[in-house]
Amino acid sequence: MDFILSQLAGFGSAFTALVVDPLTYVYLVTSVFLGITFGALPGLTATLAVTILTGFFGNKIPLDYSMIALLGAYVGAIYGGSYPSILLNIPGTAASAATAMDGHPLAKAGRGGEALGLTTTASFIGTLIGTVALLIFVWVLLLISKNIASPEKALLALFGILLSGTLMSEDLVIKGWIAGLIGLAMAMVGMDPLLSEPRYTFGWSYMLSGFQVVPVLMGAFAVPQIIEGLRHLEVGKLVALQGRILPNLAAVKRHMPTITRSGVIGTGVGALPGVGEDVAGWVSYGVGKTVSKDGKSFGKGSLEGLLSSETANNACIGGALIPLLVLGIPGSPPAAALMGAFKINNVIPGPTIDPAIILRVVAIMVLASFTMWILGLFTARIFIKILRIPQTVFLPVVMVLTAIGSFSVGGGINDLYLMLGVGFVAYFMNLMKYPIAPLVIGVILGGLFDETFRRALFLSDGSLGVFVSRPGAAVLLALNVALIAAQIPMIRHPFQRRRRKEA
Amino acid sequence: MKTEDQINPSPTAALEEAQAVLRARDFWAALVLMGLSAFFLWRTSFIPLWGENRAGVQGGDWYNSAALVPLGIFSAMFVLSLVLLRIAVREGGAKRALSAVGIGWNRAEALRFTTLGVILFFYIAGLVPRVDFILCSGLLITALIYGYHGGHAVRMLLGAVIVGLAGLYAMVLHLPRAQWAQHDDDWLVLVLWIGLTLWQMWSGRGTRLARVIPVIAVLAPTILVCAMAFGFRQNVPNRGGLIFKQIEYHYYVTLKPIWSGK
Repeated sequence: MDFILSQLAGFGSAFTALVVDPLTYVYLVTSVFLGITFGALPGLTATLAVTILTGFFGNKIPLDYSMIALLGAYVGAIYGGSYPSILLNIPGTAASAATAMDGHPLAKAGRGGEALGLTTTASFIGTLIGTVALLIFVWVLLLISKNIASPEKALLALFGILLSGTLMSEDLVIKGWIAGLIGLAMAMVGMDPLLSEPRYTFGWSYMLSGFQVVPVLMGAFAVPQIIEGLRHLEVGKLVALQGRILPNLAAVKRHMPTITRSGVIGTGVGALPGVGEDVAGWVSYGVGKTVSKDGKSFGKGSLEGLLSSETANNACIGGALIPLLVLGIPGSPPAAALMGAFKINNVIPGPTIDPAIILRVVAIMVLASFTMWILGLFTARIFIKILRIPQTVFLPVVMVLTAIGSFSVGGGINDLYLMLGVGFVAYFMNLMKYPIAPLVIGVILGGLFDETFRRALFLSDGSLGVFVSRPGAAVLLALNVALIAAQIPMIRHPFQRRRRKEA
Repeated sequence: MKTEDQINPSPTAALEEAQAVLRARDFWAALVLMGLSAFFLWRTSFIPLWGENRAGVQGGDWYNSAALVPLGIFSAMFVLSLVLLRIAVREGGAKRALSAVGIGWNRAEALRFTTLGVILFFYIAGLVPRVDFILCSGLLITALIYGYHGGHAVRMLLGAVIVGLAGLYAMVLHLPRAQWAQHDDDWLVLVLWIGLTLWQMWSGRGTRLARVIPVIAVLAPTILVCAMAFGFRQNVPNRGGLIFKQIEYHYYVTLKPIWSGK
């Protein structure tokens, strides 16, 4: 009980400190507005919003304001993706893909206002559910993580990359793993963390410090998006918004079980390392379709279907921050961008993180979700106007934003070359259906994996037994092996046959 | 003569065709990945693995070597690329890999990507380091919106030629860092930007977009570079550029004394 009270007191003081500071509102309203705009514009994603703002706010303002700007943009962008999904039948972000299934039929049936209003409220409640989970579980996990040593850290980093590669692959799972390995390989460039041995620098002094995170993020997420988006596309027919946006409280109350269930699912999926909001939306939609009495009308304009995906993708944000803050492993691609911002501010997320930062993150999340709710309900018509701007007009400006943001982070012109190189590679990887998230997570976790893996071996005089003799490490090793084994046909097929027989 | 199915393929046939194209591309990707893994495995051999003696100093043991993790990564990548190659061959990727149709070659898409590649390369590698940021970004925005808004191949080519010409000039004449402060390339970019703006306004006269492009091209980079330099007090590319130098001078000499009361 004392523990809960002390957490609440800590959260209360962090929240009060933010509320009484007028600058909080400037950063909050601006970043949430920008986030919703990014999410609403098809072709721009939540990851891109956080990445570009990392270039701008990452290390140029105090960390507190930087976190407000980035978390505000993150929350806003995930919600903003619902606008084009509902009104254009084009998901603004991958996270809102499931939203379009029911949102657009509702808008066509003249219930667009109702759909947007309920979506806004459900996203708000979903973000709060994720944030409460963050407040509770982050402390529990932090207590556990104090016992995590090098073998567990190395296996956890590997698990994050493998899981992200497995779940984010659209085509073959090995493509996700290859993407993760490319990311890991990129993290090997520069001086090695234990012996300061230069690796793969090819005599170029810039490479000695390794690849910087922000240009890699910009290259991986922004450049392919710009190349892909600069094509002639007829803007879809915008369905006129009918009905009032302010939601009916009775309707919200009626849908509370769906919202709560989806919030919990979204948070759980978000907490898995490297799995993003899009997976959360689809998983929650699938579960909703199975358990809901209204399941048959999913895909035909069901409010329950709409709320299942929209609540889950916003709840995923809080979930994704749990592994990021506790273990230093991003829970989603935008969280990977957030990790980049932490890194350039010399904050190392993980068991040694300052607990005050976690409380501030929670307080910011609460304020950001509230700002998103207010902006969503009262300025929705502005965002609907933004939907009319063609990609070919705003993407060139995004390119300039990306260039100046990447340049100013610290590495100068070399960072721009790196950004462009990574961008072209990422474009071809996209073209061949390699997921980009595992690559970025590999780049971010590569250093940690290298250092902790070798340190574990060093402490055990080269005995690989260190990865099985500790219970935590043994469990993680088993999970890694199971994840790989599940993709090997020789092992997978007998299991599938057995399951079919049982069915 | 094309059959009905070839003209209007069913969704299943279209999906199968897309999958076959993907496998043909996977075939080439697997070969590239194998080559790269082998190259980096060879490069990894330059890093001491077995605790070699370097300049009389005994290195660490194998388990502490800086080569250990890279060795694992590139070996795993080599194995996975072999698996990918096997999947691609088994699913018919190798058979299609040598024909343009097989790998899904699309001339219009190739032109779009190539022109975009040229524009982005010369903007980042040629112009940003050497030319005023407002000028080169204005030219980039004009070329990209004009070139790609309607999907016209000729406009894409024109945009790529203009940005390519400006970038090539800057790179060829001022390649070393010591020459990046020269202004002749700034003037060339300014002339090309004005020329392209006038051309697009004339060719698109009467349209809203033709009027909007110059406004975006001037305002967006100017606001961004000023916000970054004076708002966030960060370094910006080419501080000595033709226009930014003037802005910076007047900011510190003319404007700042006014509000600081000096």
